[in-house]
Amino acid sequence: MAETTADVLVIGAGASGAALAWSLVETRMHVVCLEQGDWVDPATLPGTTTSWELRQVGDFNFSPNTRGRREDYPVNDGDSPIAVSMFNAVGGSTILYAAHFPRLHPSDLRVRSLDGVADDWPLDYARLEPYYAENARMMGVAGLAGDPAYPPKEPPLPPVPLGKLGMTLAKGFDRLGWHWWPSDSAIATRDYEGRAACVNAGTCLVGCPQGAKASTDVTYWPAALRRGVELRTRCRVREITVGPNGMATGVIYYDADGVERRQKAEVVVLACNGIGTPRLLLNSRSPQFPDGLANRSGLVGKNLMFHPYAMVTGLFEEPLEGHKGPTGCCIMSQEFYETDPGRDFVRGYSFEILRGFGPIYTALWGMTTGRLPWGAAHHRAYAELFDHTAGLVAICEDLPEPTNTVTLDPELRDADGIPAPKITYRLSENSTRMLAHAVARGQEVLEAAGARATVVESPLRLAGWHLMGTCRMGTDPRTSVVNPWGRCHDVRNLFIVDGSVFVTAGAVNPTNTIQALALYVADTMKRNLANLFDDDP
Amino acid sequence: MTDNGLTPEEARLVTALLDTVIPPSDDGRLPGAGALGLVDHVVQTLRAMPLLRPVVEYGLGALAERGFAADIAPAERTALLAKFAAADQLFLPAFLFLAYSGYYQHPRVVAALGLEPRPPHPKGYPMGPDDLRLLEAVRRRGRRYRDAAAPAEQGRGRPSVTRS
Repeated sequence: MAETTADVLVIGAGASGAALAWSLVETRMHVVCLEQGDWVDPATLPGTTTSWELRQVGDFNFSPNTRGRREDYPVNDGDSPIAVSMFNAVGGSTILYAAHFPRLHPSDLRVRSLDGVADDWPLDYARLEPYYAENARMMGVAGLAGDPAYPPKEPPLPPVPLGKLGMTLAKGFDRLGWHWWPSDSAIATRDYEGRAACVNAGTCLVGCPQGAKASTDVTYWPAALRRGVELRTRCRVREITVGPNGMATGVIYYDADGVERRQKAEVVVLACNGIGTPRLLLNSRSPQFPDGLANRSGLVGKNLMFHPYAMVTGLFEEPLEGHKGPTGCCIMSQEFYETDPGRDFVRGYSFEILRGFGPIYTALWGMTTGRLPWGAAHHRAYAELFDHTAGLVAICEDLPEPTNTVTLDPELRDADGIPAPKITYRLSENSTRMLAHAVARGQEVLEAAGARATVVESPLRLAGWHLMGTCRMGTDPRTSVVNPWGRCHDVRNLFIVDGSVFVTAGAVNPTNTIQALALYVADTMKRNLANLFDDDP
Repeated sequence: MTDNGLTPEEARLVTALLDTVIPPSDDGRLPGAGALGLVDHVVQTLRAMPLLRPVVEYGLGALAERGFAADIAPAERTALLAKFAAADQLFLPAFLFLAYSGYYQHPRVVAALGLEPRPPHPKGYPMGPDDLRLLEAVRRRGRRYRDAAAPAEQGRGRPSVTRS
């Protein structure tokens, strides 16, 4: 078979790869995407079974290490208080995400100027805004206009229901005079673009059989494939190859049968998340790039940011119907989002209200928190927990630290023998103080809402969903990996569009911003096809 | 040997242990875990999660050696299990995981909790309209975000990096 050259080769079919591929294909270029996972059959998702909660800790576990599927790669996260969560499939981690879909604040992109920490992004909110709006249309964002915590925005769908649980907690925020607002959620609250409306089944975190939750396998990908993007699944890229001129020439990958293949490309785009992208770059060593591809700055894999999470759960006298409704989305409070000089930390956090626990998770949570005995006292204690819990998480802004890193593990490898990533991460003093503040305020608002007791888990370990900062963007090749529109400083036909390019993390779920950035990068590429590889102006 | 690969004696031991950790409720509304035929669930879950298997197998053997059996009094079983669990930190959490994950998805139990014993999809759950008048107080407090446009970016519309 003759080896063809793709015009654009996208690695990864998750949130950002899907958005970029969809956008670029209107150029009539030959866009190929390689994805190590496969399509997920909605009929096989756990929510169609009565064992769905058990499967959340088994074959649909957030951790690739626990799932251990063929398409997963192991992550050595033993040297981190936060464990890495991700999913490998068409749709990537959007298959399992909660679809919380907030935007960054304008201030998030200007933290050096405003607060004297970290660095400013090389673009601002106004630049991203049209892409946020386009992404909202493509993903189908539910929300309510008028949130005073944001510049004006118009979600195309009505907000997800708050339900009895949400209204109970909203009253708590009101009693304290704190900000709250119905969350922006990438969930179809009515039939939308061929997707059926959400039925409030509460199984978002193990995938949505309804297709109401906007994972990219049901949003961007159908449209991209209709437009002509070629998507090859179960293809795991081992390394990006470079030519004598230092430009990327394509990739070497293993196909579904484990056979080594090569794919040439004029342009390569990395969309592998904040762990997978530095891993692949570090695995792509050559005489021209002995420290890893596009790593002349030494910053590939540095400045890893998660969002440290604290979880506070309230126990209430009244039943709350907590099993109803989209799992992670209900209310967001940004009362403590912006920097306040009166606090002992800079930057801030959001509160996100969670639904209650299902029957199995109630028992397991009760066991691990010491609130559910076995034996004769079991049923009485369980009755006090089941449908009587409502919780919130504080999602804290993590500042970039060069000592928080993704490197290659010297021994661990995936099923194809490719070196696996190793995480080295410490909570900063700032994050530690912010978590403590968030826990105290979380307890306060739950008690204001009527909780008779609260249970604290901080930091949450299996909460490393948001993988950011490991190939950050900037104008200076000495202090950044990619330029302001995602092109690697060192390799001008290599682009990065996932969370790696974040300069700072904000204190909101990043998927919306990751996709807005991918659309922005794609748009910029389209506008500059004639001089795509020229010097930066 | 039973269909699930356990000897009849092992199956009785697991059943007795299930009933010990989740006995019937005092009001009779909720059954004991041993009455629900969860031995198959225990075996299948151990197959799916093989890392649990050694600690569970060790614990079952150790308990049997200490006299834990189906035909002793429930209070005696409870005392033996409590004593063993005090000395072994791993077995009981692993077994409780198996017991709880089977018990709390069983149709009889789910129904007794007031839920329909069915998968969440495709039917889902109805939710009524929300009273969002509560948001008036939030609106009255006014804008909360900082104006933070970068000087070089201010006033720009749809971006372009087209060079001159």
